[in-house]
Amino acid sequence: MEMDSFKSVFIALVIAGALILGAFFLQAQRPTLETQQPQPELVEATGTCASCHRRETPAIVAEYERSVHVKQGTNCLDCHQPQDGQASFEHRGFTLAESLTSKNCSQCHAEENRQFLRSRHAAPAWAAVQGSTDFSAEQIEFAEKFHEGAVKRPANRLAQLEGEAATEVGCQGCHSIGKPNPDGSIGSCTECHARHETSIKLARMPRTCGQCHMGPDHAQIEIFEESKHGVLFNANKDLYDLDVDPENLTVADMPSPTCTTCHMSGQGGLAVTHNVSRRLSWYLFAPISEKRPNYAQNQAEMKRACNNCHTSQHTNEYFADAERVVRATNEKVGNYMAIVDSLRADGHLTPEPFDEPLEFEIFDYWHYYGRTAKHGAFMGGPDYVQWHGNYELLARFVELKEKAKELRSHESD
Amino acid sequence: MKATESPAGPDVRQEPGDEWWTDRPFLLELFVLSNLAFLILDVYLAHSFNDFAHWAEWIPVYFAGAGTVALAVAVGQETRPRAYWSRRIGYVVGWAAIVVGLAGLVWHLEGWFFESVTLKSLVYSAPFVAPLSFTGLGCLLLLNRMEEPTRPAWGQWIVFLALGGFVGNFGLSVIDHARNAFFYWTEWIPVVVSALAVGVLVVLVARRPTKGLLRFGYGVLALQVVTGLLGAGLHLLPLFETGVPEPELWDALRYGPPVFAPLLFVDLAVLAALGLWDLHAKVHAPS
Repeated sequence: MEMDSFKSVFIALVIAGALILGAFFLQAQRPTLETQQPQPELVEATGTCASCHRRETPAIVAEYERSVHVKQGTNCLDCHQPQDGQASFEHRGFTLAESLTSKNCSQCHAEENRQFLRSRHAAPAWAAVQGSTDFSAEQIEFAEKFHEGAVKRPANRLAQLEGEAATEVGCQGCHSIGKPNPDGSIGSCTECHARHETSIKLARMPRTCGQCHMGPDHAQIEIFEESKHGVLFNANKDLYDLDVDPENLTVADMPSPTCTTCHMSGQGGLAVTHNVSRRLSWYLFAPISEKRPNYAQNQAEMKRACNNCHTSQHTNEYFADAERVVRATNEKVGNYMAIVDSLRADGHLTPEPFDEPLEFEIFDYWHYYGRTAKHGAFMGGPDYVQWHGNYELLARFVELKEKAKELRSHESD
Repeated sequence: MKATESPAGPDVRQEPGDEWWTDRPFLLELFVLSNLAFLILDVYLAHSFNDFAHWAEWIPVYFAGAGTVALAVAVGQETRPRAYWSRRIGYVVGWAAIVVGLAGLVWHLEGWFFESVTLKSLVYSAPFVAPLSFTGLGCLLLLNRMEEPTRPAWGQWIVFLALGGFVGNFGLSVIDHARNAFFYWTEWIPVVVSALAVGVLVVLVARRPTKGLLRFGYGVLALQVVTGLLGAGLHLLPLFETGVPEPELWDALRYGPPVFAPLLFVDLAVLAALGLWDLHAKVHAPS
C-alpha cells in the first residue's frame, strides 16, 4: 500500500477509534442502577415504560419519580413482573402481572409482610365483612393462631342485609386491606403507601389511617385531631421529617406523634412493626372489651412508645384512667344489653338481627358510643369520652329503659 | 454516458451500448425508490409500537406510500428520454422528504427530551435519528438532479450522503443498544463496525481517494453487509427461540428487537459502494 493510502487508512481508524471510545464513555457515564440489572428487560424498564406512560398516565410517572423507590433503583418491572401464582399479560414487549398484591412487595419487604400477616389488618379485616369463605384452610389456621375467632366466622349479617353493591363499594373499600389474593397472599400494601408514591411519609400522615379509621363507629382520626398530639402535629408538621427510615426515626424528626409513631415506629429502642395490633392491650372494638391475650406485653410496648415524650408516672396514670373508662363503659354496655336480653327473652324483640328499629339503636349503643368513649380515653380525646361517648350512653340508656317500660306496658294490656 | 441539460437540471442519458445496471444515476433512483417503498413497512411497524398514538405518526407512512408511487412513475421514465415533468416529480418528492424527515426528528425528541436534556431522555425517546432517513433520501433525489453525473463530485456527494447515513447509523446503534445497556457483548459489534464506516467515509470525502483507500473502503463496506445480516439474524433469533405463536407474531415484531434495523447496514453499504464505484471509475479512469 502506498504511503498516501496508508495515511488515509490510519486517519480512518483513528476517527473510528475516537467514536468507539466516545460510545464507551457515554455508556460508562450512565448510573449503574440503570445499567447493572440481572435481565435486559429490567434495564429497558428503567426508561421504556416512562417513555409511553409519561404521555399516557403522567401522574404515576411523576409520583414514581419522587419516590424512595426511584432513589434506590427500583424500576417499574421490579414491582410489576408476575410472581408465582399471578396471572400475567403481555404489554408492549414486557410480561406483567395482571394485578399487584403484597406478594410483589414481599420480594424486598418480606419481613414487613410477615408482621402485617399477624395483624388484624390482614385476614381478620376481610373476614369481618365476608367471613371465612374466601380464605384457604391454611390461611384460616394461621390467622386464628393470632386472632382467635376473628377469621373462622360467618359473614357480617348487616353487610348481607345491605346488599352486594353496598358491601363491595362500601365495606370492602376499607376491609380489602386484608383481602385474600388469587396468588395466595393477603392484602395490598398500597392501601397505606399508595401505588407509585410508595411513600413512608404518606403512611405516617394521620389522614392516611383516617381513610378508614373515621366516622362514628371508629372515630380515631376525629379523636386524634382533637387530641394534643393532633394539635401539635398540625401546627408543626411542616417542620417534621416524615420521610425518615422507621428504624432511625427519633423524636427530633417528629417531636409529636401520629398514629404510626405509637403503633408501628421504632423510637426509643422499640422494634419497628407492621403488626398494628402488637401494641394494643384491649379489644376496644368489642361491645364488652376484654384484655387481649398478650395484654401485659402489648401494653408495656405501647407505654415504651409513650415514654419517649412522657414520664413513666404520667404514662401509667394515663393508662389507668383510660382503663377506668373501659371498665365503666363495659358496665354501661352490660347494663344496657341486660335490658335488651330480657326484652328478647320476653318476646318483645325477634331473634333476627336488624329487623326492628330498636335493634339499630342497640347496635349504635356499643358500636358508636361505647367504642367512641373507649377510643377517646386511650387517644386523649376528652370530648369523645364525654359528649360523643358517655353523654350518649346515658341518654340512650334512659331512652331504652323508657321503651322497655312502654313495651312491657303493652304486655300488661 | 454523456450529460445533457434540461430546464429541470442536468440529465443523464444512456449511451446506446450502456445497460441499465451500469447506469449509476439510474441505479441511485432505484435505490431511493426501493428505500422509500420499504419505509412504508418499516415506519408502520415502528409506529405500531405505540399504536399510532399521535396522528402525525401516520404522515411518514402516507408520505412514503405516495412518494413511492410518484417516484415509480418518474423512474419509469428513465428507460426512455426523460420527460421534464418526471424530473419535477423527483424534486417535489425530494424536498418533501427532507421536510418530513426534519419534522420527524423534532417530533421524535418529544417534550421529555427537551424538558430534561439528559442522556437517559435521549436514550428512551423515540429514535430521533430515524426520521432523517427521509431527509437522506430527499437529498439523494436532489443530488441526482442538481449535480452533473459525469463529474467526480457526483460520486463524492454520494459518499458524503452515505457518510451522513452511517453517522446516523452509528448513533442509532449506540442509542438503540443503550436501551438495554449493551446487555449482550454482541451489541457492541454494530457500534464498532459503523464507526469504522464513518472513519473510512470521512477520509474518502476529505482526501484524495487512492486505490488502496478505495480497496480498504470496499472491505469495510463488505463488513457492513456481514454485520447487517448477522444483526438481522440476532434480532430475529428470539422469535425462533421462543416459538412465537402466530397470533402473537405481530406483537413480537412490534415490541421485540427491531428486525429491520440491522438491514440499514446493508442498505447504506450499497449506497456507499455506488459512490466508491463512481469515484473509482472517474478518479482512476485510464486517461
